[in-house]
Amino acid sequence: MNILPLKITNLNYSVDQNCILKNLNLVTQEEKITIIAGNNGSGKSTLLKILHGLIKTSDNNVMWGKYSTNFIKKYQSMVFQNPILLNRSIYENLIYVAKKRNIKEIRYVDKIIDKLNIKDISNTNTKYISGGERQKVAIAMSIIGHPKIIFLDEPTSQLDPVYKNEIESIISDLSRNGVKIFMTSHDISQIKRIGKEIIFLNEGEIIFHNTVSQFLSTNHIDLIKNYINYG
Amino acid sequence: MLINILETAFNLIVTLNSDLFEIINLSLKVTLSALIISVIFSIPFGAFLVFYKNKTQGLIVLISNTLMGMPPVVLGLLIYTLVSKKGIFGFLDILYTPTAMILAQTLLITPIVISLTYEEIYKKNKEYALLLSSLNLTKFSKLKTLIYESRYALITVALTGFGRASAEVGAVMIVGGNINHFTRVMTTAIAFETSKGSIELAVALGLILLLISFIITILIKSLRKIS
Repeated sequence: MNILPLKITNLNYSVDQNCILKNLNLVTQEEKITIIAGNNGSGKSTLLKILHGLIKTSDNNVMWGKYSTNFIKKYQSMVFQNPILLNRSIYENLIYVAKKRNIKEIRYVDKIIDKLNIKDISNTNTKYISGGERQKVAIAMSIIGHPKIIFLDEPTSQLDPVYKNEIESIISDLSRNGVKIFMTSHDISQIKRIGKEIIFLNEGEIIFHNTVSQFLSTNHIDLIKNYINYG
Repeated sequence: MLINILETAFNLIVTLNSDLFEIINLSLKVTLSALIISVIFSIPFGAFLVFYKNKTQGLIVLISNTLMGMPPVVLGLLIYTLVSKKGIFGFLDILYTPTAMILAQTLLITPIVISLTYEEIYKKNKEYALLLSSLNLTKFSKLKTLIYESRYALITVALTGFGRASAEVGAVMIVGGNINHFTRVMTTAIAFETSKGSIELAVALGLILLLISFIITILIKSLRKIS
């Protein structure tokens, strides 16, 4: 099943007459990590939610290979900026997602727990774990069922450097294993470390789309220059 | 005088007075039956309303909120006109029976359970909507998850309904008739015994009602803590 290229055609999105995304057009074949960057309010999270099908638009606006977002949704998962976890133990959260994804093998969840190194806390209720642990559990939930695409909305924005490094290496691992990653980030050093392609948004418009190395070496307009210098 | 009354009331309780416990037994049977019937219907219905946002849903929530404060005597009167011999449901022949009392209490607490369930599930849905949509779940599956995640809050809702039903006097008095050994429950017995001057039995029943209310409050507090 080929989910690339991703084609976005004439994508507009407004809320109460506020234009969030303006006539986005994009084609990408990039299999590795695509970063969606831009200042606050530029439409990054909205774009991610549209790509994941959480915000409905016309089916023809976004196509994954020959498939619509609606069709591809079962092969996708998303990690939110503030991880949303059920009020149960970590193990029960993972079992819940496994059941919903029709995975019958209980050992599968154990393997994910080992992979994400969360065995010590697997019986702890999600109310009592730290921000970094919550993010790891959210990623563990997102990889259940072997999704082809994972969306991550600023997954490390609230984490200390140790957790940030751990989460980055999990994301890179997933990418190496063939999972297409779309991730929003403000962190230029992180973008340099793990990003392959970048889509830069400003006020709902794509103002740059190329490789990360091009992004860092091109002579940009002041807006992006400042973003790179202060990011 | 008050000490004498309390002493006699305590005696009635500790000696397991048969009249007293017959009344308590019937009260609990009626109220628990009403609660079970109401909860089976109202919790899924209140939760269901969260997912169907249209004008009808808004209207149902509005009506339900309005009926939460319905005076029990008015409800009792309404049921009386429906189930009395000349009423359209007169053929059921349930007036002055525990069945009519269960019906009255069910209808009294149903709007309460629907409205409070709607509020609880609405809050939970706000918290989990993105996750549940991201998992591509059906509406039914989302509903099941939200009800399960709200389980402690929903038990509190049921206890609130139980509290309201067990303390109610107007409706059961009208449709039950307060018939000795048949439809006499705690609240109607308190009113009746007080009016005829037999204050000891009324106080004993009042103490039991207070105890039930106390237990419900403790349970609600504990469940709120857990949830």
